[in-house]
Formats: sequence, C-alpha cells, structure tokens
Amino acid sequence: MTRAYWLLQRLTQLLPVLLGISVICFALLQMIPGDPARIILGSRASPEAVAAMRDRLGLDQPALQQYLTYMSKVIRGDFGESISYKVPVSKLILEHAPVTGFLAVYVIALAVPIALILGMLAARYRGTWVDHLIRMLSVLGMTMPVFWLAILMLRLFSIDLGWFPVSGYGQGFLGHLHHLFLPAVSISIWMIPVLVRNLRASIVQQSVADYVLAGRAKGLTERHIFTHHILKNASLPTLNLFGVLVAYLIGGTVIVELVYALPGLGLLMFNAILGRDYPIIQGLTLFYALATVVITLVTDILSGLIDPRVKA
Amino acid sequence: MSEQVIEMTSRPGVQADELPLNLKIGMAVVIAWVLLAVLAPWVTPADPNALDLDNVLQPPGAAGLMGTDQVGRDVFTRVVFAARIDLWIGFAGVVLPLLIGVTAGLFSGYFGGAADALLMRVVDITLAFPFFVLVLAIVAALGPGVGNLIIALALVGWVSYARLVRAEVMVIRNAEYIQAVRTLGFNRFYILFRHVMPNAMAPVIVYAMTDMLLVILAGAGLGFIGLGVQPPTAEWGAMIADGQPYIEEAWWISLFPGLAAISFGIGLSLIGDGLARMLRVSN
Amino acid sequence: MAVAIGSGDALLRVRDLGVAFAGQGAPVTAVNNASFELHAGEVLGIVGESGSGKSVTLRAIMGLLPATASITGSVRFDGQEILGMDPESLRQMRGRSLSMIFQNPSSHLDPLMTIGRQVAEPLLQHEKMRPAKARESAIKILGEVRIDRPEQRAANYPHQLSGGMKQRAMIASAIACRPRLLLADEPTTALDVTVQAHILALLADLNRSRGLSMVLVSHDLAVIAQVCDRVVVMKDGEVVEQGAAGKLVTTPQHPYTQRLIESQPGRLAAVAAAPTVAITDSPLLEIRNLGVQFRLPRTGLLRPKALLKAVDDVSIGLQRGETLGIVGESGSGKSTVARAIMGLETPAQGDVLLDGRSIRAGRLAGQPDFRRRIQMAFQNPFDSLNPRFTVRQTIVEPLRKHRLVPADRFDARVAELMALVELDPRLADRKPGQLSGGQCQRVGIARALAMEPEILIADEITSALDVTIQAQIIELLNRLRSQTGLSIIFISHDLALVRSFCHRVAVFEAGRVVEAGNVEKVLSEPQHPYTQTLIASVPEL
Repeated sequence: MTRAYWLLQRLTQLLPVLLGISVICFALLQMIPGDPARIILGSRASPEAVAAMRDRLGLDQPALQQYLTYMSKVIRGDFGESISYKVPVSKLILEHAPVTGFLAVYVIALAVPIALILGMLAARYRGTWVDHLIRMLSVLGMTMPVFWLAILMLRLFSIDLGWFPVSGYGQGFLGHLHHLFLPAVSISIWMIPVLVRNLRASIVQQSVADYVLAGRAKGLTERHIFTHHILKNASLPTLNLFGVLVAYLIGGTVIVELVYALPGLGLLMFNAILGRDYPIIQGLTLFYALATVVITLVTDILSGLIDPRVKA
Repeated sequence: MSEQVIEMTSRPGVQADELPLNLKIGMAVVIAWVLLAVLAPWVTPADPNALDLDNVLQPPGAAGLMGTDQVGRDVFTRVVFAARIDLWIGFAGVVLPLLIGVTAGLFSGYFGGAADALLMRVVDITLAFPFFVLVLAIVAALGPGVGNLIIALALVGWVSYARLVRAEVMVIRNAEYIQAVRTLGFNRFYILFRHVMPNAMAPVIVYAMTDMLLVILAGAGLGFIGLGVQPPTAEWGAMIADGQPYIEEAWWISLFPGLAAISFGIGLSLIGDGLARMLRVSN
Repeated sequence: MAVAIGSGDALLRVRDLGVAFAGQGAPVTAVNNASFELHAGEVLGIVGESGSGKSVTLRAIMGLLPATASITGSVRFDGQEILGMDPESLRQMRGRSLSMIFQNPSSHLDPLMTIGRQVAEPLLQHEKMRPAKARESAIKILGEVRIDRPEQRAANYPHQLSGGMKQRAMIASAIACRPRLLLADEPTTALDVTVQAHILALLADLNRSRGLSMVLVSHDLAVIAQVCDRVVVMKDGEVVEQGAAGKLVTTPQHPYTQRLIESQPGRLAAVAAAPTVAITDSPLLEIRNLGVQFRLPRTGLLRPKALLKAVDDVSIGLQRGETLGIVGESGSGKSTVARAIMGLETPAQGDVLLDGRSIRAGRLAGQPDFRRRIQMAFQNPFDSLNPRFTVRQTIVEPLRKHRLVPADRFDARVAELMALVELDPRLADRKPGQLSGGQCQRVGIARALAMEPEILIADEITSALDVTIQAQIIELLNRLRSQTGLSIIFISHDLALVRSFCHRVAVFEAGRVVEAGNVEKVLSEPQHPYTQTLIASVPEL
C-alpha cells in the first residue's frame, strides 16, 4: 500500500510539472520581440501575408485563449505545423528522434561501464597515482567543449586516419554503431568524468560508514562488504545524478549532431532556428522536456525499488 | 576549568591557515585570464578584426603565435579578445542567477508556506528542461546576442541556486543557534540575513565555480551555433565554428580557442575543488 | 596493580597496549600502556570519558583500527596473539570467536538489507550455511534476543524497527556464530532508559545462559557497575585503576576514579545547597492546559493527515526561585513544552501566564519585557552557537539589541558575564569550533544571562557532556540560582540528576504529565506505573 501510494503520489506530482512545461513552451512564442509573424516572414513580406500568418498562429486572440488552444492541441498530440516544411511538427520529431535516441543510448552504453570501472578504481586506490590520474583526466574531460573535441576527433580519426565516416547516420545497426562512434565518444568524454567523480565520492563516503565497520566486526570479507553493502548504498546518489545527466546528455546531442551532420533532433532544432521555424522550436523544446521528465521518473522509480526507505 | 580544548577542525567557520594549493593555482590561472582580457589591446600584436587577405590560413610561427584564420586575422589576438566576451558571459551568467536564486531560496526556505510551495513547483518545472535546450530555445525566441544569452542564462540558471540555498536554509533554520536568536527577540529579517545567510553561502560559492564552467561552455556552444556574439566580434565558441570548414588544412583556427576555454575551465575547476576543501563542503 | 600475571584461564589478556594515530603533525597517542585481562565467563567493564581511549582499545582488540594507527604491546585471545596476526586469520576469528556491537544501531546496520539477512551474514560467511538454513537460524536467534514475531521482523529493513529493536538485531548478528567473547561499545548510550534496562538485562542473560564473556565499554559508571564483575577505569588513554566492581565503587583509590564517582548525578550535593522555596498560590510562571500538535505526513491515499499531540493538556506552575524538573523519555513532549513557552511553537490550546499575565495575548516579538524575563539554554553545545560568531559577538548581540548596557560597556559586560559562567576571558575571540563542549554550553548560558532573566529554561543542557563536565555545569547553575534567585525549568532524561538538583518534578509520558510533585516524594514513592517503571530502569551506583 505505501509503495503504491508513493508511486501514485509521485505521478500526481507530475501534473503541475507537465502543466508548467506547457506554459513555458507556450511562452516561448510570446517572448519573441515584435511581431512573430513579421519576423518569420521577413521584412519584405506583404501585409496580407503577415496577416495570414498571424491568423494561422492564432496571434490575434487573447493570450489565455491562445494558450488553451495550444494546450488542447498538445494533449491530442498535435504539436503544430512546421512553417518551412509544411508538415506536422510531431511527424518531423518522430522522423528525427531515432537518430538522437540511438546516440543517447550509445553514449550511456559507452559511458556507464567505463565510469563504473574508473569510479571504483579511483575510490579503491584513493590518494594514489591512479586516483590522481583519474581525477586529472576528469577535470580535462569536463572542461573540454564537446563540439571542439568533436571537430578535432573528426580531423584525426576520420580525415587523417580514415577510421570513421565524416558524417551521416549509416545503414543498419552496425552501420549506425560505426557512424555514431565518434559522436558518442565526444559526449561520453564529458559525461564519464561527472559520473566518475560522483561515484568515487559516494563510494568513499560509504566505505567509512558505520555499517562497514560492523560488517568487518562480523568477519565479512572486504570483497563481500564492497559488493553487498558499499556498492549498493553508493549507487543510490549516482543513480539520481544519472537522471539529471541524461538531461544534459540530450542537450549535448544538439551540438554534436550539428558537427557530425547527423539527421537527429539537434539538427532539426538548428535548422529550425536558422529558418525561424518557431513551431518546430516550440514542439522540440516540449518534446525534450517530456523526455527528461520520463527519464527522471524512471530513475526515481528505480531508486525507490532499491531503497526500502521510500521517500515521500 | 579542567576541560581540554578539543580541536574540532571538521566544523564550518574554521579556516585553514594556508590556502589549499589547487585554490592558489586556480586563482592564478583565472586572474591571468582576467588580466589578459582587460589588457587585450596592449598585449596583442594586431587588431582582432583586421582582415589581411594576403596572409590567410598561415600556420603558427612567423605569421603569429597561433597563426591566422581564413581571412588573415591573427588567431592569438582574437583568442585574447574573445576572453573579454567569454569571461563576461561566465561572470554575468553566474552572478545574475546567483543573486536571484539566493534571494528566492533564502526567503522560500526560511518562511515556507504557499510561496515556498509555488517556488518549488517553478524549480521542478524549469529543471524538467534540459539546461542547454531551454537556453537555446529562449535565445532563439529573443534573438541572437550576448545580452539575450545572459538573460536566458539568468532565467534558467537561478533555479539551481534557489534549490541549493533553500535546502541549506531548511537545515539551518532548525539549528539551535537560530532558535536561540529567536528567543532573544530578534526579528526574522535580521536572523535571516545575519545568521542564516552567512551559514548557507559556502555550498553556493562552491557550486558557483562549477556553474561558471557550465555557463561558459554553454555560452561557447551558443556562439558555435551562431546565436551568441555576432561576427566579426571574437568569441571562443564562434571561433571554433569559424575553423570547422578549414579543419583539414588549418587546424589551428579551432584548436587554440578550445585550449583557451579548457585552460580557463581548469582554473575554475581547481578553484572549486580548493574552495570545497577550504569551506568543507562536499562538491 | 594486583593483576595475577600468567594466570592460565584468562580468555583475553591485554598487555601494555599502545595505540598512536599518525596525523599531519606528531603521532597522537590514544592508548598508552593499557593492561587488563578477562576470564572466561566474566563481564569486564571499561569506563571513561570522551578521549579516554576506551573505544580505541576495543577496536584494537578486534583489529578494526585504520591503517594510520600504530599498535604496540600484546593482545592474547584464548592464548593466541592477535596483534600482528595476518589479516585473513583475524577476519576468520571476528564474528566467530569474538564479535562486537556498537553504540548507534541505526548507522551500524545497512539500511538497504533486511534484518534477517544481516543476522544470517556471519553464518553464511563463517559456517558456510546454505541460505535457507541460515535464514532459519537467523529467525531463531532473533527470537533468542527477544524480538517478537521474529519471522516477520527478519523481513523488515532497519528503518522499520525501533532503536531498541535495532540494538537487539545487532546483538543477534554478533552472537549468531556463538562467539566466546562479545565486545560492546556503549551499547545503550543512544537508547532511552527503559530500553537500556531491557538491553542490559538481555546482555546479562546471554552472559549467564551461554557463558558469553563480555567487555562492556561505557561512559556511564552506573551502567558498568550494574552489569560488570570487574571494572577498568581509563583516562587520557591510560588505565588508572581496575578492580572488582563493588569494591571500586565503594573504595576508589585513584583521585580520578574518586572524582568520577563524586560527579555521578546521584551523588551531587546540589540540593543540600539549594535555597528553599515557598510554594504559593500565585506562581511566577503558570502553564495552563497547554496543548501543542504536529501534523504528520499522510501515509496513505485515503488516510487523513494524522495529528500528533506532542503536548496534551499540560498544567504546571513554577514558583519564584524554584527549580522545576521535567523528566521524560525521547518523544515525551518535554522539549516541546519549553519551546511553546519560548514562543518557538504555537500552542493549539491553553495558555502560559507570567505573573498572571498571558504571554500569548500579544505578539511575542512585541514583548521585549517578556523576552528578557524568560531565557533558554539548549542541548547541543556546538549547534546552539552560530559557528561564525566569536564568543564576544554571541554575547554582545542581545546586549546591543535590547540596549542592556551602553555601547562603551559592551566589552566590560562580556567579561563580567564570562566570569559569571567561569569562562576564561581569553576565550572571548574564539569561535565555537575552537571551544570544548562544556565551554560552548557556558557561552550559551552566558548569552541567556545577558538578558538578565528571572527564569532560565535549561533543555537537556548537560546530556551531550561528560559526567565530570556535567557536574561542573550543575554546580554553576546551583551557584547562579543561589546568588541571583534565578528560577529554573530543568529538562532532563536523567532522573538521578533531576533528583539531586530540582525542588519539584513533573514526569512526562507521551505528551502528558503523569505525575508531579516534590522531587523526593515522587521519586521515592512513585504513584503512577510509568514513573515506577522509569525509576526501576535507572541503573543504581
């Protein structure tokens, strides 16, 4: 009952968040200084065309009316229509999402195992050169602009060595793996250090916990204490951070897709910004937020399953 | 009094006599960049925006410390001038959200109630967006430029500070010394600013260093996309983008602004770690 | 010391044990030349205050000290030298031949593992039991430590158990492999006195029924004296005295042991010196039908938010010059009463009258007069002072706010107040982190006295302090009330302390006063069953 109640409570907490997300996405269009219709069409457009655009965007209605129209459409899965492509934004998003999804999963598959190993190594050998080396590399990884690294790796591994394609998504699963390797590495190099630092800190913190001492007093082996007690306790904060990181990871894909010309959501966003295609920008922002909410919810539920002290 | 004085070095407010080494190195790096940025016209050999079409894509060496770009501008000069923009984005993009967030977090955490509940909802909602995506979308709406970028950073960034400060305040307000001051008859604003705030600031300061790194990278990212500073003004992210088409023959155009960003980032990171150790905050 | 060297049947023999910790400067000695022994079936007590090295000694015996510790001397268990033993062999002994329980059961149990599994762990590890069999045994052992419904409890996580239950679970896990020796490090310090009585009874029972030898470490001499056959007294890392428990308590030899015994709350001579008080019909402070409620979080969708009556219909009065004791266990509402008087909680009903005037009638902040007349000192010595303020800043703050003395007299007044609470004036520019617990408590009292109050509410002000420091603080309060006629509400969980320091006492249970009256009368002829249980639970020296 309590766990079911907790889950229900967690889900009801989502409602205001979802409402707020829709308000912010709606407000994006209101933030445009001047007349959005005029900005979309450019200064040479005829007044009739501008009026038609205003009518199409519903700009002549009161703001609340506009929001309610927007809301009712969004609930039905209608994210508006692209101005330049003349197709529904939801269709564009669904077309571009697999690339970004594949890239995100690729990054997680690369980054999480490496981060786990490095984090455990750094904690296990803390204070030694292993720890210092990992820490130095972490700082380097976190301070590197992702797009800069992407460009340099492109030059070295694609142009000079010819190991990887310069751009594109490739054909079939293996083709995707091959084409997306460098993009995934660029993002991983930023993501791994954040995870490593957090995991190392959690393990170090947990390994001086009282229950570890009690475990030693029971004669448990260090290996058993580490695998059955420390790691489980240390994974909780890292798991929570992981949800946050995935949000950043999604942000990172925008720019990396641009460098490697990957036909994903990031490239769609970039082209929409260039073309002032506000419905796409609005719809994508909403989609990104919804994806983040779902990921956060999943990590929350996971940590709720690991942790018997279910948080209210 | 036969009690022995116990050294309780793990308690806040007790500062080590000497600054940690990483803090010193980090400060040196950051101060060096600030000086370079301020003194840019005097320490650089050229005009950052002067075209020299006879000397395009020259490698580092005779034609300049870091070579020249596709229109013959001196890359070193531009890297130094770019620091003016990037450091300004880092500074304003942290100070504004910090001021807004700390104020909101202090009041919300100390007074609680409906305003607090509302604030937490706003925080939840804002954090539901990927940081970079929301900043990007706001700048796309407001229009490109450094000013709008900083507005976007402030609109999105303050919530992290608010949440951090609020959590600290919620702990501190239940501390016995706050109860004690309440029983001495002080009003709530005095207690909030004289007792609660100073004790809540340590994690904020440490976080601000990490945040500045994040903000500068995001700023450079927007510059890279073309939504930051407008050409021909130099900015690290925009310079990296300038070099991208020429990466095959002129790697130096993109390489050096990146290295500049990394060196400044390492400085911030060292300061963050050093402060965390000095103020005994978990980073 | 008359210890028979080489007596053959010693189960544990510690000789010239020395422990030093390497730090940034010179190594810090934690234990120096400690020697004692324990015979099979015996319960040995080690008593000492913080920093005496008693816990470090236990950890040295278990081989649980960190790598920064350098250990000298000899520890022989059952004829076998433990110091310098290879870690693997020592590990195999831990939990099987000798095991250990700790002070805070909450933090010493893994929050993410069920109680049953944590008890079964040593069985799986040492006896290579099959999981199903280990689970069965664990349930049986949980029953032996008198945990009710052990099958269900075994499936619980630590946070679902009370403090006393958790300590029982830790004991179960320590004795699962039937070790010969149990080391107990302050096993009841975190527990309420009635729970403590149960745990001590359980330990004594295990000693008797299983022949389990024990080393019991505690700061509380009364606990040690009640359970132990022999006692070792430690101070600053050295054994200053040891001997049979009864003899050591009645005829202590070493001056420190004598001081320790004199400092026991039951032996303080405070009441003898206390001014007598006339009980009148118009008390200085009167609490009338006071009730304070807290709203508990919802536990289920259809369940309403429950109200916790932290204080429920409480009426007591405080006479001028009187010291009123409020005793009760954790959660009894005794601190909430104090907080309600100070306006830190808003009462749901009832009233507090000062000189017959309601102090709830107006806004509390608007009544500086009331603020000045009632002041409070808090429990936690370090938490009750702003860590960023020096002693001087802390004491000047109320002086400036209420213009108690002219600005040019601040320093002089701080010096006076520090002298009043017997603080060295050279400490004025230190921050709390550079003071000891006792010194911090004195600063807290000085801050309250700066307001020149008529009533001081002392909320567990000595519970975090060593017993000798506690005696000094009680002595200080005693002197203050004699000199200034201060009335005190003294809140404590310690019956013996209340008995030696207060005129009257009110016993709290679950938010209500179950019994109140003259302290001698209530404590020697308790009427209410709860008071009787409480008194019976207190270990006697």
